[in-house]
Amino acid sequence: MIAVERVDFVSVPTRDAAQARRFYVELLGLHESTTPDDVFPEFETSNVTLGVWQPEAVGMEFSPGSGIAVRVPDVEAARNELEAAGVQFRGETMDTGVCHMAFCSDFDGNGIILHRRYAEPRPDGMGHTESREREDERKAGAAS
Amino acid sequence: MQAERLDFVAVPSRDAAALRAFYVDVLGLRPDDNANYEVWIGDTCLGIWEPERVGLEFEPQRNGPLALRVSDVAEARVELEEKGVEFQGETLDTGVCHMAVFRDPDGNDLLLHRRYKPYE
Repeated sequence: MIAVERVDFVSVPTRDAAQARRFYVELLGLHESTTPDDVFPEFETSNVTLGVWQPEAVGMEFSPGSGIAVRVPDVEAARNELEAAGVQFRGETMDTGVCHMAFCSDFDGNGIILHRRYAEPRPDGMGHTESREREDERKAGAAS
Repeated sequence: MQAERLDFVAVPSRDAAALRAFYVDVLGLRPDDNANYEVWIGDTCLGIWEPERVGLEFEPQRNGPLALRVSDVAEARVELEEKGVEFQGETLDTGVCHMAVFRDPDGNDLLLHRRYKPYE
């Protein structure tokens, strides 16, 4: 079996790096970590890097990616803020019973989900969004 | 606004159980203890979903692959090829890293990745 150590980055295709920067840095508030080695911009969430690239710049066809869920403190407030900046949403904000989700796209059409889990993890449940390390930490905190 | 973290990457599928088996049994990813169709790589969660179950068209994810860090891209590629995984073209040497693009059974793009150039 191969050993996958971690996710080094999630690729985000764009047609225009400035447009990607506007969405991820100016609207989502991510930190840009682009180094001189990088041909395209990189943006940091607290757990994984978004690696922007331009398929058309390397002779490939552009098509948007399908969906990343970013955690925001309040889905409705975040939605209002993005809508005011011209971001298009699809449908109403969904309440799954454990989390809120609102579906939109960045300016290249990549699927973005504004996400906030409000329920505690359930033993039988879906939508568990906590790494084992964090879960262990939380349980240790609750037990002490 | 401040996005706090990436909670999950949505992975479209036509057969979530089969795709989960690929991620767990072939790629060796950790299944979530509490959710059937979520798997973990370190601190990153993949959420498998079936668009057709909610009335949406299925389209595999292209151009948005996760870069999976392995110790040696060439070795991992051989191991996956022996298990029938198909790669797209040759392994790329960017000057700072090796990358090999392959697809999961639903046709979603993934990357084997290893940076070899030290960070300055």
